[in-house]
Amino acid sequence: MQSIIQYVLSGFAIGGCYALVALGFHIMWSTARAVNFAHGDTLMLGAVLTIMAVDQGAPLPAAIAGAIAASCLFGVLLERFAVRPFAKTASSISWMLTTIAIGIMLEALVTMEFGGFSRALPSPGVERAISVLGAGVYPQELLIPVIAVVAMAGLGWMRRYTLIGRAMQAVSFDRNAAALMGINVHRMFAFSFGLAAALGGAAGILIAPITQASASMGLTLGLKGFAVAIIGGITSTPGVVIAGLGFGVMEKFVEGYISTAAREIVGFSLTIVVLLVFPQGLFGKREVSKV
Amino acid sequence: MTSRFTLPAFTGLAVFLGILPFTADNEYSLRLFMLFTIYAIVALGLNILVGLAGLISLGQAGLFALGAYTGAILATRLGADFVLSVVAGMLIAGLFGALLAYPTVRVRGVYLAVITIAFGLIVENVIIEWHELTGGTTGVSSIPKPSLFSIPLDGFRYYAVLAVLLFIVVVVTHNIKRSRYGRAMLAVSQSETAARSVGLNATGVRTLAFVIAASTAGLAGVLYAFLNLYISPDSFTFNDSIRFLLMVVLGGAGTTVGALTGALILTYLPEYLQQLQYWQQFAYGLLLAVVMFVLPLGIFGTLADLAGRYLKRPSSAYPMDGYAIETVVKDAKGGRTSARFVADGLTIRFGGLTALNKASMQVDPGEIHALIGPNGAGKSTLVNIVTGFYKPQEGRVSLDDVNLAGSAPHLVARSGVARTFQNTELFGELTVIENVMIGYQKRLSYGVFEAALRIGRFGEEEVECRRAAAALLSFVGLTAFTNEKARFLPFGMQRRLEIARALAAAPKLLLLDEPAAGLTTQEIDELDRMIRHIASLGISVLLIEHHVELIMSVADRVTVLDYGVVIASDVPTIIQDDPRVIEAYFGTAPATHAAAGGPAS
Repeated sequence: MQSIIQYVLSGFAIGGCYALVALGFHIMWSTARAVNFAHGDTLMLGAVLTIMAVDQGAPLPAAIAGAIAASCLFGVLLERFAVRPFAKTASSISWMLTTIAIGIMLEALVTMEFGGFSRALPSPGVERAISVLGAGVYPQELLIPVIAVVAMAGLGWMRRYTLIGRAMQAVSFDRNAAALMGINVHRMFAFSFGLAAALGGAAGILIAPITQASASMGLTLGLKGFAVAIIGGITSTPGVVIAGLGFGVMEKFVEGYISTAAREIVGFSLTIVVLLVFPQGLFGKREVSKV
Repeated sequence: MTSRFTLPAFTGLAVFLGILPFTADNEYSLRLFMLFTIYAIVALGLNILVGLAGLISLGQAGLFALGAYTGAILATRLGADFVLSVVAGMLIAGLFGALLAYPTVRVRGVYLAVITIAFGLIVENVIIEWHELTGGTTGVSSIPKPSLFSIPLDGFRYYAVLAVLLFIVVVVTHNIKRSRYGRAMLAVSQSETAARSVGLNATGVRTLAFVIAASTAGLAGVLYAFLNLYISPDSFTFNDSIRFLLMVVLGGAGTTVGALTGALILTYLPEYLQQLQYWQQFAYGLLLAVVMFVLPLGIFGTLADLAGRYLKRPSSAYPMDGYAIETVVKDAKGGRTSARFVADGLTIRFGGLTALNKASMQVDPGEIHALIGPNGAGKSTLVNIVTGFYKPQEGRVSLDDVNLAGSAPHLVARSGVARTFQNTELFGELTVIENVMIGYQKRLSYGVFEAALRIGRFGEEEVECRRAAAALLSFVGLTAFTNEKARFLPFGMQRRLEIARALAAAPKLLLLDEPAAGLTTQEIDELDRMIRHIASLGISVLLIEHHVELIMSVADRVTVLDYGVVIASDVPTIIQDDPRVIEAYFGTAPATHAAAGGPAS
C-alpha cells in the first residue's frame, strides 16, 4: 500500500512535468499547426540557465524569472527563424528538421558552456522529505502536478476572457478568417511559441532539483512530452494534462515492478496502441492533418 | 519514363564504386567507403517512403537494428552463414515494416511521426532489456567473419560485396520509382481521394512503400553487423533515425542520386567535423539548418526545380502513333464497355438530416443520363455513394447486376466506374501524361519483381500505357501540355485532364460531377461534343450538372432530385415542363408544397 502511494505521488511529479511539456506542444499545434521538435531543449535551457545564474550569485527567484524569460525568447526566435519560413510548404518534414537542427546547436552550445555532466539544482522544495500516508516525498514533487493543473486552468481562462486568448482561438479555428478580421496571425504564432517555451522552461526548472540537469536532459523529456500530447489528443487542453499525469504514474509502476528499460517499452507501446484505437488521441477532436 | 540520363548515370555509379577502393590508402578509409555503401542502402529505401509515398519515418534506426541483430544473432548462436543472415534480416525488418504501415490506415503526419519514433525507441529498449538474446547494453560481440561460398570476405572482398549490393538496390529502387508502383505512391501521397477513385488501393500502396524502406534498412543492418563484427544498442538511437531521414532530405527526397549524395555527405561529414573538436555538434546542427534554408528541396530537388523552370521540356518526347480512341477505351480483358447502372432505394442520413430518401434511378448502356436538382438536393451525395466514398444505410447500387453498395472506392473503380470531381482532384505535382497513366493503372498487370528488374510484361505494358495516355490527351486536346505539371494548367484544361484520366480506366460508367462549372461558353460547347463522343464509344455517362442548355442538348434522359427524393425521371422535353421540377427550382405557394414531397413517378 505504501509503495503504491509512493508510485502514485512520484508519478504525478514526473507526470506533471510531462503535462507541462505536452501543454506546450498543444499550444503550438493549436495555433500554428506546427511544433517545435526541440521543445525538450527549452526544458534544458530553463534548468541550466537557472543553475548558471545561481552559480553567479543571483538569488533563486531572480534566476528562475530570468531563465523563464530567456526560454520564452528562445521560443519566439525559433518560431520566427525555424518554423515560419516553412509553414507554407505542404510537408512537415522541413520544420521538423530545422527545429531539430536548432536543438542540436543549442545542446552543443550548452555542453560547451555547462560541461557534459549532470548537476542538481538546489531548491528549498527538496531540502526535507515529508511523509504522506507513509510515503516519503519532497514538497517539490507535490508542487509540479499542481502547477501543471494551474497552467491548464490559466490557459483556459486566458482563451475565454482575454483578447489575446480569443485571438489565439480564432487563429486555431481558421487562420485566414482570423487574418481577415484584423488579427496578426504571425504575432499569434510567435506568442504561442513563446508561451509554450516559457512553460517548458518552467517545467525544466521544476524537475531539475529532483532528477538532474544536463545538456542532454531534454531529448527524452521532449519525446515523452510529445508522445503524451499525442496520446491525450493534441487539440485538447485537459486531455494532454490528464494523459501526462497518467503517463507519469504508469511509468513509476512499471519502473517499480519491472525495470527502467521496460518503462520505455511499455510507455511507447502504449502510445502506439492508443493511436491505433483513437487516431485523434484519447480526448482529441478529428481534424484534417496537413502533411 | 526511362530518362535519357538513366543509363549513363548507372554506368557512372558502377565506375565510381569500382574506382573508390583504389583511393583507399588505409584500412580506415576503406571502412568509411563500406559505411557509405551501407548508409546509402538505408537512404535509398527510405527515399521510396519519404520521397514517393510522402510518409515520414523517424524510426528507421529501429528497422536497421532489427536487421543487424537478426543477422548477428543467427550467425553467432546458430552458425548461420552470410546469405541466410542477410535474407533473414531483410525478412524480419520487412515484416515489421508491414506492421508499421498498418497505422497509416488511420494516422498521418505528426501522428505517424510519433508512431515511428515510438517504434524506434521500443526496439532500442527491447534490445537493452532482453539480455539473454541481445547481450543488453554490452551488445553482441565476436560475430564470425562473413564468407560467401566458403571464400572469406575481408577487406576489399567485403567491399566488393557491399558495392554490388548497393548497385542492385540503386537499380531496383530506381526501377520501382519509374514503374506503376512509383506512380501509385506519388498519386496516393498527392491526392488520396483521386487515387482511390482510379482504383488504387491506398493502404496497399503505402504498405509496399513501408516494406521496401524496412527491408532495405534490414539488409543494411545485417551488412553493418558483419562489417563491425560487434554491435551494441548505441548504434541504433533516435539520433541515428534523424540522420537517416536527413540523408534523404539533404540530397533531395524522391531522387535516387539525391539519396546517394545525402548518404555520402553524412558519412564523411562527421569525419571532417572532428577537426572542430568541441564545435563538432554545433557545426552539424548549423549545417543542417543552413541546408534547409538554402535548399529546402534538398540538393538535387532544388537543382531539378531550377532545371524545370529554365529548361523547356519537349512537349511530347515520344512520337505517338496508331492508337485510336476507340481501342483505348475498350478494355481488352473486360470485353464490352457499356453497362446498365441501377441505383435502387438509396437512403443515407447524416445525423438528423436525410440526404437521400429511397432514391432510385437507372442508366441504360450507352445512355447520357443527367442528374439535376437544386443545391443541397443530394446529387453529390449520390455520386459519393455510387463511387464508394459513402456507405448508404439502405439500398443497392449495381452495375450489370453486380452490387457495388458498400464496396471500397478502389474496388468500385475496378469494377468499371470512373469519375471526375466537382473541385478538380488532380495529382498536381505530376505531369499531365502521368496523371492519365495513373488512370490506366488498373489495366497494367506486371508485378513488383517485373518492375524492379524491368523484365516480363513490364516493357510492353508501359509502352501500351504511355501510348494510350497520349491518345487520350489528343482526344481531350491536351497534347501540347503533355509534360507540364498538372497544377499549372488553367481550370478548364484541368477539367478535361480529369476526363482523360477517368477514360484511361476504360470505364463502363463515367460520372461527371458538374463538368461545366466555371467553364467558358466555348469550352462548354467543346464539352458537349466530347460527352457525345464518349457516349458513342459505348460508355454510359451520368452527368451531374446545373447548366440547363448543356443538359437539354446532350442528355437522353434526366432525373431530378429534390430534398433527397427523386421527383421526376424522363426525357428532357418532358422534364422541362414538369410542374414539380419547376416548383423545385423556382418554388411555389406554401399550400401546394406539401403535395410534392411524395416519391417519384
